[in-house]
Amino acid sequence: MRQAFWGFMLIVSMFVGKAWATETVWFGNSAATRVLYINSALDLASFEPILHEFVAQYPYIKVAYHDVNTLDLYHLTIKEHKKPKASLVISSAMDLHLKLVNDGYAQSYQSSFTDRLPDSFKWRNQLFAFSLEPIVMLVNKNAFPGEMPEDRQSLLQTIRQNEKVMTKRIGTYDIRQSGVGYLLASQDARQADVTWGRLLEAFGSHDVQTYCCTHDIIDDVASGKLVLGYNLLGSYASQRAQDDDRLKMILPKDYTLMLMRAALIPKGAPNAEDAGLFLDFLLSDNSQKMMQNQGLLFPIWPDLNNQNDPFVVNAPGPTGVIELDQQLLVGRDYAKQKRFIRNWEMALEISDED
Amino acid sequence: MWQKSLNHQNLSEEEEQSALRKAPSLRFRFILTGFLVIGVIASLAINLIFDYSQKLADLSYDRLLRSALLQMDENVGLMRNEVSIDIPWSAFATLAQADEDRVFYKVESLEQGFITGYQDLNSEPPQPPVLDQMQFYNQEYSGEMVRFAWIQRHLTDPETAKTVRIVLGQTRLSREEMASSITQKAVEVVVFIALVAITLIIIGSHLVLRPLHRIERALEERAMGDLTPIEINTPKETHHLKVAINHFMARLQTNLEQLENYTADAAHQLRTPLASLKALAENARDITSADPHSTDLDSSERQYQALDNIVKQCDALSQTVTLLLNQAVVSHRLQTHRLEPIDLLPPITASCREQAVTALHKGVRLSFDCDLKETMILGDAFSIQQMMQNLIENAVRYSALDAQNDTEVIVQVSEFERFYRIKVIDYGDGIPDLEKERVFERFYRGRYDIAGSGVGLAMVKDIVDHHSARIEIVDTEPKGTTFQVDFAKFQYHEGVL
Repeated sequence: MRQAFWGFMLIVSMFVGKAWATETVWFGNSAATRVLYINSALDLASFEPILHEFVAQYPYIKVAYHDVNTLDLYHLTIKEHKKPKASLVISSAMDLHLKLVNDGYAQSYQSSFTDRLPDSFKWRNQLFAFSLEPIVMLVNKNAFPGEMPEDRQSLLQTIRQNEKVMTKRIGTYDIRQSGVGYLLASQDARQADVTWGRLLEAFGSHDVQTYCCTHDIIDDVASGKLVLGYNLLGSYASQRAQDDDRLKMILPKDYTLMLMRAALIPKGAPNAEDAGLFLDFLLSDNSQKMMQNQGLLFPIWPDLNNQNDPFVVNAPGPTGVIELDQQLLVGRDYAKQKRFIRNWEMALEISDED
Repeated sequence: MWQKSLNHQNLSEEEEQSALRKAPSLRFRFILTGFLVIGVIASLAINLIFDYSQKLADLSYDRLLRSALLQMDENVGLMRNEVSIDIPWSAFATLAQADEDRVFYKVESLEQGFITGYQDLNSEPPQPPVLDQMQFYNQEYSGEMVRFAWIQRHLTDPETAKTVRIVLGQTRLSREEMASSITQKAVEVVVFIALVAITLIIIGSHLVLRPLHRIERALEERAMGDLTPIEINTPKETHHLKVAINHFMARLQTNLEQLENYTADAAHQLRTPLASLKALAENARDITSADPHSTDLDSSERQYQALDNIVKQCDALSQTVTLLLNQAVVSHRLQTHRLEPIDLLPPITASCREQAVTALHKGVRLSFDCDLKETMILGDAFSIQQMMQNLIENAVRYSALDAQNDTEVIVQVSEFERFYRIKVIDYGDGIPDLEKERVFERFYRGRYDIAGSGVGLAMVKDIVDHHSARIEIVDTEPKGTTFQVDFAKFQYHEGVL
């Protein structure tokens, strides 16, 4: 019943079907007796070393990792709520995750690791954040006309001054397909309504390209098909920018959104015990350090001794941490969401049929 | 003379201990009562606190809910004749102050139906809906008790009018937490106060009972035979106990003195007759031995005379002993028997009847003069009979001196407004005025030539005093003495009361 009003989302159900079909990746000894199913919207590239480390530490557990798009992950979790397959669900769409908890799809978990987590990084002992990363712009240094934009205003200016170059060469999330894309857009609108309006207008008039997933945007920026990717997850962008000279990651100076990746254990999870174990592992100093040192994710507790570490947030301006609390529900309000997406579609001059 | 315990036994140490154990403890009762009272008060207070802390928590968090609801309400509008709402972020930021509480809401219009929120939420308030009047209530939703705020209002613009209803709910976690933290603090305080109070009661009971222990020690430590009043300083509350003990000791002392007096009386009474008995016996012994030359007849005549004297003396002695016994009995009765309504006449007539023959032997006519039917007084019949006996005996004895002439003793009972007067009239020699005051003194004997114990009238005086009666000695015309005793009439209503 409750998810009935999400019915309109069935429009994108074709993607859902596809997403659910993705392969499950196994980690650990195949003879291990305990199986932990993880549904996650976290790219394996950023997560694989952590998973390997986990099964090395707990050889009697094997992990089945299922990569799912954030929005699909939400629907999958609701769909499976009576008999969940996954015991741990990880997502960067904080708002959807919070809504899952608010609507009673998660169970509580408590350990010494969750206890030391600051209150702003957990909710109700059911939702736990384990990383905090900036939302960035990624620029192709070679293709970008003029100076690197340092904030949204200078980006707008560049777009206006280089209309030809910029047309069809800016990429961002399709907020209808990506849960985290919607979250970031709605947070942009909330942080700076006017700037957001202008940006949206500029994106619309220059045929912005929309994507479902961060990696596709990054790939296109790297190849030069896009000049700039807007609102990308910092961890993926940082990872690629390190290896690829053509790419430059920019933390907008006017404000930098900070996003948490969060995990929950669904109510009735088949293996809540090991899910808790994995959660503790994610929150342990060991894996937090690993995230930073191996350049996987932005940890909650970064080691600040390393200067210029790409995985320590070094924002030039103010940071707007997306708070993990009930406010996130507002963004996912049925009426607000419908209106927001309609406005977005209108501004970008795209319709459902596209 | 006294009431005594029937079997006065010395309890063994063990029995004493067990008796002490079985005895109810004043201190225990005091503490128990204190405990109960404080317990009841404390539990009442805790009950109130529970109630109050719930109310307080609801009051504070309802404000958040109200504020959030109003913010939502403010953002409801009509767009193209459709109700729409743009929930402000700040509304939920307000609710996020209850950090762990889930939020549920529903916005609907009576015309349009569901607008946004949780569609399966029951939006019917428990009380009849009144426009623009906010309602707060608890209702279960999504497996938890949720506090809801409800409002309904009209939206009008020139073209259309719609009714919009907003329900906003919040789980009760923060409320319960606040309530329980208030309760916990308050309960801690209440329990602390109760403990302090109980401690004070325990200490207080010790302090309060200490004067009793002091009195107890003072009594225990006394030397045998020490009947002087207790003179320790005690608080007001135990003052009466001290006074009572002192009174009791005073009474005991009086009793002891009476006993001493009585023993002295008895010794005194018995010594004289015994001495004369001894003299008579010696006399009888000497009759034969002293004068061996006298004739047998003469000596046996004198011996008979001497022995007769001894017998008479023995009679007198036995009479004295009886008198002493009677006195003891009367004294005992006066102390132990309560006065009760009796008819005055039977004891008087009884004693007259008893004495009439003896009097006649002595040549005295005893007459009883009374035409009253009923003479109720408050008194003790036995004592009154003894009193009459003594008075009549006395009158007869003093009348009989003049044995040649026929003389008489008259006992008269007459009625006055408030009392009955008994008169015992004799026509003897009378008592000189000087002696009238002294006749009631113990061992006072007006004339030693007349046999008598000297205690009879003293006993009469005791009895009269005990009855709160009045005795007077007046002269009889032309000569002789009249004893008159006035007994107050028994008032029936007094008796009933």
